[in-house]
Formats: sequence, C-alpha cells, structure tokens
Amino acid sequence: MNLEELKKLKEKAQRQVALRDGNKKYRVVFSMGTSGIAAGAREIMTTMLDEIDKRGLDDVEVAVTGEIGLVDAEPMIRIEEANGEKVTYARVNAADARKIVTEHLEKGKVVEGLAVGKVKE
Amino acid sequence: MLEELSLNVLDIAMNSLSAGARRVEVSVVESHRHDFLILRVRDNGRGMDAATLTRVLNQRTTGKQSRKKNIGLGLAMLRQTCEMCDGHFHVRSAPEQGTSVTASMRLSHIDRPPLGDLNSTILSLCAANDDVDVRLKYRTDQETFNFSSQEGKPHEPRRTQETERKSSTTSRAA
Repeated sequence: MNLEELKKLKEKAQRQVALRDGNKKYRVVFSMGTSGIAAGAREIMTTMLDEIDKRGLDDVEVAVTGEIGLVDAEPMIRIEEANGEKVTYARVNAADARKIVTEHLEKGKVVEGLAVGKVKE
Repeated sequence: MLEELSLNVLDIAMNSLSAGARRVEVSVVESHRHDFLILRVRDNGRGMDAATLTRVLNQRTTGKQSRKKNIGLGLAMLRQTCEMCDGHFHVRSAPEQGTSVTASMRLSHIDRPPLGDLNSTILSLCAANDDVDVRLKYRTDQETFNFSSQEGKPHEPRRTQETERKSSTTSRAA
C-alpha cells in the first residue's frame, strides 16, 4: 500500500461509482457478510467491477447484501434482471466472475454450471 | 479469521452501511517511529444501545437473536487480533449517534496480520453504495492521504469527456 496506489484508487472509484444507479437491466448483488468477505467476496467484486468497466457494460448496477445464511456456498453473487428473473451463483472464483460478466451480463446467457438457484417469477 | 486487516475494515464498514450510515470514515495510522498501527471505522449510522453493544462484543452469545448476528463475530475477531498483538480495541456507540470502532496494535508484532489490499476495500465500499460518503484517511510518519468518494461529484464537474459521460448517468442520484 503506498500513496501512488491510493491516488489511482481515487480515479478508479469515481469511474466505478458510475456503475451504481438507475434502473438498469441487470443488478448484481454481492454477498458481503463476514463469511462472504472471509471467502474472498472482495476480490470477486473488484474483479467483476473491473471486467464490467473493461467491457463498457453500462446496463448493470451493483449492490451488496449481508449474510444470506449459506455460509459454505460463499462467495455468492445474485444477478437480478429487470424482468424479475433471479439467478444465484455460488462458490465463485475470479475466473468464474469474469465468465459471468462475459456470458451473463454481456450475452444474457446464464452460466449453467455455476448457477445454484434460478427463480422465475 | 480474516487474513488481512483490510478485510476486517471492510467487514466493519459493511455493517456501517447496513446501519444506514450516510458517511463512513476509515482512518489508518501507521507509525514506524512509535511502532503502532491504528485502524478506525467511524460512521453516522443508527448506532447501538449498551445491551446490543455488550452482546456483539461477546463472541459466545452471538446467535439467532437478530439479523445483526454477524456483527458480533466480526468485531470479536478483530478484538482478538488486537489483543494478540499488544493493542487495544474499543467500540463507542449510542443509539442515533453512530458507531466508532478503534483497533490498535503493535506494528512490528510478529502476529500482526498484513494490512493487505486497502484499495480494494475502499473500492468495494464506494461501489456498494453510491450515496454514502466513504472517506479514507491514511497517515504514516511522513505523509497523509485523504480520499472521499463524494469529491469530484457532478456539482463540481471537470469538463472532460469522462466526467460528462459520468454526470449524465449519476445526476439522477444527486
């Protein structure tokens, strides 16, 4: 950790904050309770933000939630679509996180191998 | 146990967000000269009364009482780390008065976890809630760095393409 890094952080934060509002097509909810954080949710979140930013996807908003209760399935991500469909991904690693961005958020295809719950309303 | 202190910071600050804080202030003081590290997370959320405070600080009684159960585990873990590293741990909170968590430890203590990726912690906090002012104060013997997620918001726009694109998407929240 040095001051140079912190200065870069400033710029990056301002760019990524733009991801966060309005009625977007996708809403990505990260599980950020203690167990999620211990399992690596922070890295998953920054990886996804990075990938979303790199691909210039602007129809995505991000949010966080606390403990869900499925502690052994962390890190977890829930993707909510504007039409009410919800998909939960469990035990996500960094590579999975990038795949979810390219497949689900960009192409609209659910990554079947990683999804644990899919609720149609 | 969390491997990095910055993860502890994230954990505590996430609780600040769920306590409805509008401002979360993280301060890190790292002094090699005096050999200490102080972490403080201060928020203006809804705070806790004395009974809740006692409960969350006591690891063994955290259970199913409320949705806030995991506050207890997070704080207790950090307290343990502090005590292990010749430091102190202190939480000050009152209903509607916000919460302030202060953790100190001896910088050179062999058991002190690394601070880790504080950048990612702050980034995650900023991304988690756009309306909350996330502040970071980072101080060493020589230098001070201040960061606020609300600075450079649309009300003081720099006229570049980048900010124009951004202000069009963020202005609604303002």
